[in-house]
Amino acid sequence: MIEAFILLLIILPLFAGVLSLILPRLWRGAFAVILSSVNFLIAVYLFKKELTFSFPWAGFGIDFSLRLNHFSGFIILAASFFGLLISLYALNFLKGKDSAKQFYAYILISISFVNGAVLANNLVVLLFFWEALLLTQYGMIVIGGRLAFRTATKALIISGASDLCMMAGVILTGYLAKTLLISDISLPLDLLGSLAFILLVTGAISKAGSVPFHTWIPDAAEAAPLPFMAFFPAAIEKLLGIYFLARITLDLFKLNTNSILSSVLMIIGALTIIIAVMMALIQKDYKKLLSYHAISQVGYMVLGIGTCLPAGIIGGIFHMINHALYKCGLFLTGGAVEKQAGTTDLAKLGGLGLSMPITFFCFLITAASISGVWPFNGFFSKELIYDAALERGKIFYLAAILGSFLTAASFLKLGHTVFLGKVSQKYKEAPVLMLIPMVILAFTCIIFGVFNRLPINNFIQPILGIRAAGHNFSGMPANFMLVIVTVIVLLAAFLHHFIAVRMNGGAIRAAEHIHQAPVLSTIYRWAEKKYLDPYEVGIKLINKLAKIFWRIDRGIDWLYGSLIVNLTFAFSRVIHKIQAGYYIIYVIWSLVGAFAVMSFVLR
Amino acid sequence: MKNELVLFLIIFIPIIGALALPFMGRISTRLRNGVSFTLVVLSFLFSSFLLPTALSNQSIAIVKYFPLGFNFILSADSLAVGMAIVVSFISALIILYSFDYIKHYENQNEYYFMVVLFLGAMMGLVFSGNLILLYIFWEITAVTSWRLIGFFRRKEHILRADKAFLVTVFGSLLMLLGFIRMYQETGSFDLSTIKQVIKLHPISDLTIALILAGIFSKSATLPFHTWLPDAGVAPSPVTALLHAAVLVKIGVYVFARIFIATIPLAVFWQTAVPVIAGISALICAGAALVETDLKRIIAYSTISQIGFIFLGLSIGSPIGVAGGLLFILMHGLAKAGLFLCAGVVEQNAKTKDIRQLGGLIQTMPVTALSFLFCAFSVMSIPPFGGFFSKYMVISGALETGHLVIAAVFLFGALLTILYLLRAFNMVFLGEIKNSSVKEGSFIMLLCVGLFAILSLAGGIFIQYPNAVVQEITRQLFSLR
Repeated sequence: MIEAFILLLIILPLFAGVLSLILPRLWRGAFAVILSSVNFLIAVYLFKKELTFSFPWAGFGIDFSLRLNHFSGFIILAASFFGLLISLYALNFLKGKDSAKQFYAYILISISFVNGAVLANNLVVLLFFWEALLLTQYGMIVIGGRLAFRTATKALIISGASDLCMMAGVILTGYLAKTLLISDISLPLDLLGSLAFILLVTGAISKAGSVPFHTWIPDAAEAAPLPFMAFFPAAIEKLLGIYFLARITLDLFKLNTNSILSSVLMIIGALTIIIAVMMALIQKDYKKLLSYHAISQVGYMVLGIGTCLPAGIIGGIFHMINHALYKCGLFLTGGAVEKQAGTTDLAKLGGLGLSMPITFFCFLITAASISGVWPFNGFFSKELIYDAALERGKIFYLAAILGSFLTAASFLKLGHTVFLGKVSQKYKEAPVLMLIPMVILAFTCIIFGVFNRLPINNFIQPILGIRAAGHNFSGMPANFMLVIVTVIVLLAAFLHHFIAVRMNGGAIRAAEHIHQAPVLSTIYRWAEKKYLDPYEVGIKLINKLAKIFWRIDRGIDWLYGSLIVNLTFAFSRVIHKIQAGYYIIYVIWSLVGAFAVMSFVLR
Repeated sequence: MKNELVLFLIIFIPIIGALALPFMGRISTRLRNGVSFTLVVLSFLFSSFLLPTALSNQSIAIVKYFPLGFNFILSADSLAVGMAIVVSFISALIILYSFDYIKHYENQNEYYFMVVLFLGAMMGLVFSGNLILLYIFWEITAVTSWRLIGFFRRKEHILRADKAFLVTVFGSLLMLLGFIRMYQETGSFDLSTIKQVIKLHPISDLTIALILAGIFSKSATLPFHTWLPDAGVAPSPVTALLHAAVLVKIGVYVFARIFIATIPLAVFWQTAVPVIAGISALICAGAALVETDLKRIIAYSTISQIGFIFLGLSIGSPIGVAGGLLFILMHGLAKAGLFLCAGVVEQNAKTKDIRQLGGLIQTMPVTALSFLFCAFSVMSIPPFGGFFSKYMVISGALETGHLVIAAVFLFGALLTILYLLRAFNMVFLGEIKNSSVKEGSFIMLLCVGLFAILSLAGGIFIQYPNAVVQEITRQLFSLR
């Protein structure tokens, strides 16, 4: 009964999550590790298998149908891998913290929802699990502290709004395709089709954390417990968002390079890269800096998939898994620093490399990966994206390469500030249980880079099927000129960093000349005051609108409470005056009445 | 014959029983409480008993002819039975909650008498097969709700009760005019006869407009809505009853009864009603975002959500109608839970002003969690039941090509998330403003917890409610 296994992927973590709330507090962590290992093993077992499972559910075409294929198996494998590592990491990180009470439950339930969303072969089932993730997201941020609920609310509202768009997209798609079964849908991009496409893409890139749906992520970096950041925005939200984006562009709709929507996607991608990395550059907090990079890197994936070229799509999906690996690893190094040094404020950190060598080592590898240094994994996925971007337009390539320059610059600043420089205080290395996940992630980054044939040929290229047949995307990049440009850009970033450190005085001030540059400084000031945050602007507008609505409501109430009451009293006063008790008035009224009756009868 | 007897008992057990409650209260409060709960539970059990018969499309009817068209007709089709089950179930839980809530106040005999009579009248209305009979039950609910809103007898409470009574009765008089015109046009007050006659010549728009005015005033839809937030001065179980189970659902139900089951709504009204509902949904969602009184916020939320129900029922597509019917269930469960939670907060913190509340999750976790669950259901976030009802309603709107209306309602759904989270955050999270607040009593928590869990279960096990809803919809559409 192998079909039962894919149901197990959803049910087992869900029940385990609920159960872990009842278990004694000390057991919860270990329980979560065991259960996420079981989940990982099931995912390994099911990988490369093709299964379907379906039973009638809500009617109206909404069947609970699941489908395991290569792509979904791969995403589930990756998600369960990260779930396992994060629960392992949290064992020590959250020890003794109040947030540990509920965290494991949320992580297990999230795994269940992710599995459900990825396995879903019905758009409504997908939406069901997809949107249900809002709950665990809300819960995980709320437990971060007394005031964390503000960020949690922001996250829930942003994601809720985009999920409502996605709901409309699902309905429209189902209506146009006359079915909700994902594997049966293949729609042309006509007028309504394009609308449905845009609505679905809104949901997908919002989950991935692209501009303009990103602003809760940096806030969450400050408010939420760190394992949440490593698990949600760094790993599974990217997996889910990019997975669905790829499904939309590859399967649900026939998007091709001629479509204007392809260019729109690429523009969103390019903007995301630049805007987020510019913000990352000036951050003075370890976690917040990383969070902006978690946004910026989404830009590469969206750009890659938006190109509609095999190289770009493969690069985008490869970058998704690479990003999850190194960004998760980077957040975990941030967590190690936070745990040992008690702060992530860059101004208070320095020289940690000596006292925390393994953390430093993991940071070096993951930072090199994200900067696109050969031979780490980020290099290869970025080269594929560059290649496709250049084919679609120089401007996209320029944006991507500029993003790489700034990424490298900001990681040089971060690494230099935290791990090198003056030793302010001596700290111990992080506990072993926290180091293990970090080291595993760092080594996976190396393996996915050096032996990139392994992931590309086993995991990614089969996703495209015949569309990528005959191509070989593994090994060294095909276009050698691009590699040279990349190397030059990285060297320039190095050079820039050292000059900037000397000129601005100190590694932490390495980006100050950009921060204080004429036009940019104004934009930065606005951004820091949240004038440019679509959420804050939107909420302000909605509150103004709500005031107007409320006035209208009060106006209607005034009609009832004052106008009608006063009219009634005025009327009765008139009647009262008429009925004054004078004999003659009654006689006149009687005569008028009699006349009226007579004229009616005799007509 | 057995089914007919059961149908009769569903209505008259609570109505007759209610009359005896004040006398029992003189003997023992426990006896009175127990009996009033039993009466409603009996009503629920008998309704459930009829469900299999109704779903298999067999008609159950009691018919007694009287002159001038004032026939006494009770008929139980699947729509009526489904509605009766939902209403009596929610009411039973609310009465259970009342045991601990109302014992702190005076005039309890009157309370139980009115509540049970209210429910009985609702049952009568649900099964009425004749417009005049329907109108009589309708007005009984108006009188009982007038007494219940003004239950605490303070000057402003009585004024607000009067307001609710005057607005709804004004509406129902318009509706009565509509019924009379209907009689002139079709020659009968019987719904089954009207349905036959209507196939030959359609009903005039004025008649429809008059009846709709009555429905909108009872269901608190713009512009007849402002009495509902004001009715928040009533005891919390009563507001829950008004909002979730009985009063506002009357209008919705009668809409379904007349304009889906009897007269197919003309194309003009298939756009007009959603437009009114959409304006109502938006304006009141905005008002909920500004209000600072917890019960008023939830009341505005009800008005806003009722708009969604009207959208689903009026849009003229099967999935929309099914969504609207499912919405009645899911909204009933969640909204009852929200009001009962608000009742726990109000009773223990002695205030309804959300600016003076905060951090209550520390001292009342069960209430906080139940409130959150119910709020999630109203926000339509899966796996809660509200997700499916909202999905189906919006689906109905989009499939019939009402893109703009669907967009308006989606914006309304966003506002729902905003105002419910705002209320939850200000009441239960953040700074603790009054640390002495205690958690509610066991029975009260049991009720709110049940509503929360049912809201969740309604989403996960959607196949069961939806199977019933689908069958009802199928019967409604096949009968045309």
